[in-house]
Amino acid sequence: MRTATRRKFWRTVQTLIIVIAAAVMIVPIVWIFMAAFKSHVDVYQLKLLFKPTLANFAAVFAEPYKLGDKLINSTIVATVTVVIAIPVATLASYSFSRFRLRGETTMLVMILATQFVPAVVIVLPFFVMFRDVGLLDTRTGLVLVNLAIVMPFAIWMIKGFIDGIPIDTEEAALVDGSTRMQVIRNIVLPMAAPGLITSGIFCFIIAWNEFLFALIITNKDAVTLPIGLALFKAEEGDLWNLLSAAGIIIMLPMFVLALIIRKHFVQGMTMGAVR
Amino acid sequence: MRDNTLKYLLVMPAVVIVFATAIWPLIQSFRYSLFQGRLTRPGFPQGYIGFENYTWAVSQEPAFWNSVIVTGVYTLLTVALTVLLSLGLALLLVPGGRFRMSIQTILILPFAMSPALIGVSFRFMFNPEFGLFDAFFGLLIPPLADISWLSDPILAFAVCVMADVWGWIPFLTLVLIGGLAAVPSETIEAAQVDGAGGWQVFRDITLPQLAPVLAVVIILKSIFSLKTFDQVYMLTNGGPGTATQTLSHYVYFNGLKYGQLGYAASVAWLMVIPMIFLTYAYAKLVFRKAQQ
Repeated sequence: MRTATRRKFWRTVQTLIIVIAAAVMIVPIVWIFMAAFKSHVDVYQLKLLFKPTLANFAAVFAEPYKLGDKLINSTIVATVTVVIAIPVATLASYSFSRFRLRGETTMLVMILATQFVPAVVIVLPFFVMFRDVGLLDTRTGLVLVNLAIVMPFAIWMIKGFIDGIPIDTEEAALVDGSTRMQVIRNIVLPMAAPGLITSGIFCFIIAWNEFLFALIITNKDAVTLPIGLALFKAEEGDLWNLLSAAGIIIMLPMFVLALIIRKHFVQGMTMGAVR
Repeated sequence: MRDNTLKYLLVMPAVVIVFATAIWPLIQSFRYSLFQGRLTRPGFPQGYIGFENYTWAVSQEPAFWNSVIVTGVYTLLTVALTVLLSLGLALLLVPGGRFRMSIQTILILPFAMSPALIGVSFRFMFNPEFGLFDAFFGLLIPPLADISWLSDPILAFAVCVMADVWGWIPFLTLVLIGGLAAVPSETIEAAQVDGAGGWQVFRDITLPQLAPVLAVVIILKSIFSLKTFDQVYMLTNGGPGTATQTLSHYVYFNGLKYGQLGYAASVAWLMVIPMIFLTYAYAKLVFRKAQQ
């Protein structure tokens, strides 16, 4: 009897801690969601009940903020980055997975290592080069630097997926006279498709949230959404209702994408060190 | 085409991109670090001075050492707090069931948030007049009620640490849940039958089994903590004064705001040194996993 009560007590404590932890994680997000629908009078008060308005969303898309332009920039830059990175990474991952290459380990370690180099180190030469060739403040320039962070993730992640595909069907097709490229197109690609989509979404999120490169490379025409947040720091202080509306526009699509690939999130972030 | 040629052709585009976007800038940054390298003057990089930028940073710049200390303390605190809290949360969540699974799903959300946005939202939460966390801490610890968190050097630093820990707990928790799920439950049950208590089971069975995953998590978190820029930039912009100026922020300011690119490149390269050790350790773990 005694142990039963004690166990019940502990179970309640555990549930309570989980609920508090979940609340701490979720409250800042909920708070931003609420602030985005508050009028600029209500946002400066700690209240839960207010009259919701869509005015903030209208305001961030209007002059002078024109968040729509930043939304387009972010979408184009992240999409093009992914469209380049995924096919290139797929071919390389296939080769790394199925063949033994000279210097394979060195190459893979180098690719892994580039991911850990501080972004400030990488951006300095790009800034100088872009200034010289006129790529500063362009989406092309941004795609180029984004590839630096996205490619290593893509290669390691896709390699993990291809490693998991059994090799038998491929060998049978090769014996039947298919060429290697046919095997890749007709057998590997269909089987790896879910993995490729997952990797693509993962890289899209990284490119979308990228901040430091965009801060340094862009200043007007190619500004992306995360940098656009700085627009709402006014002389008289931060415009929190507008910041929150912009924040929702940045995070909501990523929430949806993250939920789609949540099973593979861990594997992607650790580049295959944890499956 | 023969596989022997094809296999190199397939990796070529990827290797070229990685080389051009990561290895080349790394080498180029090192070259800049040997020059005076003023961004605003013509003929960049100009004035070869060997390793003078490095010796200058180490011997003449208190601001550099300030950033080293800020980054060091920040890394130690964020790694320790994130790992411990995540481990606790993972242990609570690992039994599964509908309630715990739905919490796990929620955990994905903060991690999909851009770090810049996390910075913004924490500035919001700690606003002295209408910040929710500010009000909460004010109720909990009355002396903190009237304090403007972000204007106080130590508290601003604390808010940066909290924002970082908040942003990373979900991801680390999910990784550790994965690691805990791999611990064979038979071993745990056998130990319980033998009369081992909860803490004994954790120390003698769970922890050793979890060690490789913990190592991955600690190294990965250390690397990202050492590089921290986005949140700090949006939250405090290094301030008040230089109380929260991390090394990445220091490099950004010297290189791109003050145009001292040569000097900034040398500090950036000093940052690469600890990364080499961490990456080496990480690569060893990844390859051990791959060989299993």
